[in-house]
Amino acid sequence: MKQQNEDSQNLLNTEDISTKFLYLMHIHDSAFPIGSYTHSFGMETYIQEDKIRTKEDLFHFCLTYMSENIGYTDGIFVKLAYEKLSLQEWDELIRLEKICHASKNAEESREASMMIGKQFMKAVLPVSETPSLKKWQEEANGYNHFPFVYTLYTYDMGFDLYTTVLTYIYSSTVGLVHNAVRAIPLGQKAGIEVIHKLIAEMDTIAKQILKRHIEDLSNHALGLEISSMKHKFLQARLFIS
Amino acid sequence: MDGQLDLTFTYKNNKTIIKDVFQKAPLKASRGLYVQDDSRLSMYIMESSGGLVAGDSNKLSFTLEEGSDVMIHPQSATKVYPTLYDETSRQSIEISLAKNTNLTWQREEVIPFEGAIFDSHTVINMDSTASLWWEEILYPGREKRGEFFTFKKYQTLFEVWRGDDCLVYDPLIFRPADQTLTAIAVMENYHFLASLWIVFPDSSFSVTSLQEKLTELEDHQVSITQICENGFLIRWLSNHLAQIKKDMDQLKEALAPR
Repeated sequence: MKQQNEDSQNLLNTEDISTKFLYLMHIHDSAFPIGSYTHSFGMETYIQEDKIRTKEDLFHFCLTYMSENIGYTDGIFVKLAYEKLSLQEWDELIRLEKICHASKNAEESREASMMIGKQFMKAVLPVSETPSLKKWQEEANGYNHFPFVYTLYTYDMGFDLYTTVLTYIYSSTVGLVHNAVRAIPLGQKAGIEVIHKLIAEMDTIAKQILKRHIEDLSNHALGLEISSMKHKFLQARLFIS
Repeated sequence: MDGQLDLTFTYKNNKTIIKDVFQKAPLKASRGLYVQDDSRLSMYIMESSGGLVAGDSNKLSFTLEEGSDVMIHPQSATKVYPTLYDETSRQSIEISLAKNTNLTWQREEVIPFEGAIFDSHTVINMDSTASLWWEEILYPGREKRGEFFTFKKYQTLFEVWRGDDCLVYDPLIFRPADQTLTAIAVMENYHFLASLWIVFPDSSFSVTSLQEKLTELEDHQVSITQICENGFLIRWLSNHLAQIKKDMDQLKEALAPR
């Protein structure tokens, strides 16, 4: 009898986890309306300069984007935000977002992070039980940068830190590949190949991020930063950033 | 060696003057110079040791009291020597800008030699009526010896705050052994990194017209962006140091407030 109860409890847990997993899949669906298909975060400048032309170029660009940009900027903010939330250090969380805002030098990428964050909140708040995210919206008077609102959501949904960081990397990078496939252009098959190769690297980068602290933040992806700054001055553009 | 330099400037009888100074070798401040008129004081930071040797630490602080207008420049490039036992050479700069002050930091290059470890932290607290012009250039090794990014670590953090508002938070960490610095989106094949931070209380210039004025050459990229309501960043990735300095001078001529 005892065994039977445990089994049924396990089944409940599994169902609960599986349902949560479906919500996570849903917010990462490319049709989920957060506008990531309108942003290239500077990649479009490289495409117009003919520096990203092939699937190999795209893979190397996205790998560097994950390891040298996300891994030292937003990835660390996600990790730190999650920790502040766990400790209920609300004021510290708000201060951290101010630092995140000021650290995003290129205007278009900074605006893009806020636009996606705002759209994300708009999409999930009416349909989810997310008390921290709701509190953020009502009380924080924050900038709503995507790494922060994303973390508030995953925290409220009960996902652990590793899953939060890993899926944030996935969300930031896969969107870029979809956009590159349209802009270069490349075939869908090439896009899938690139994403599969990138997924294999995401676990390593997520684990590196988990060991990093605020002192490890670094804007050394400077080529990307200048490309993002120059994007504003391109003659014709497919993307907002 | 641990150098220290603390200076307070004030504005009195239509003249910016040095009100207070504390200096500890190898750091020393030049006397105040008046290049154009008495309202603006220019000053050199002198460093008698010839550079930072492993474990050295320099602490600098500058307080600009209401109305003062100061231009500071290091007398020569900051050379950071190699470390044998992984000691870090440190530099910290704290700046306070009161009402209607104007600070120009005209910087010489920082040159971390092969094997060097450098850590620099600059914090500026400024009033909403204060103006700031801040130049930085990283010269990543002794060019004539073929040193480019052969140092162990170069870490800088530049922060600007206006009360509780963070205007600039720019951390940079280069650890050439652990990073693919030459990759696309990082340093690519550029040697020099330069930054010009401008915060003016009443700036109304257009970034598009400024971008058009900036020279694009082969191996020389430069762009401008708005970092906050009254703040701008111009960043260079380049293999032409002389062109960076020329661009900076040109911008100063076009934009400097006084």
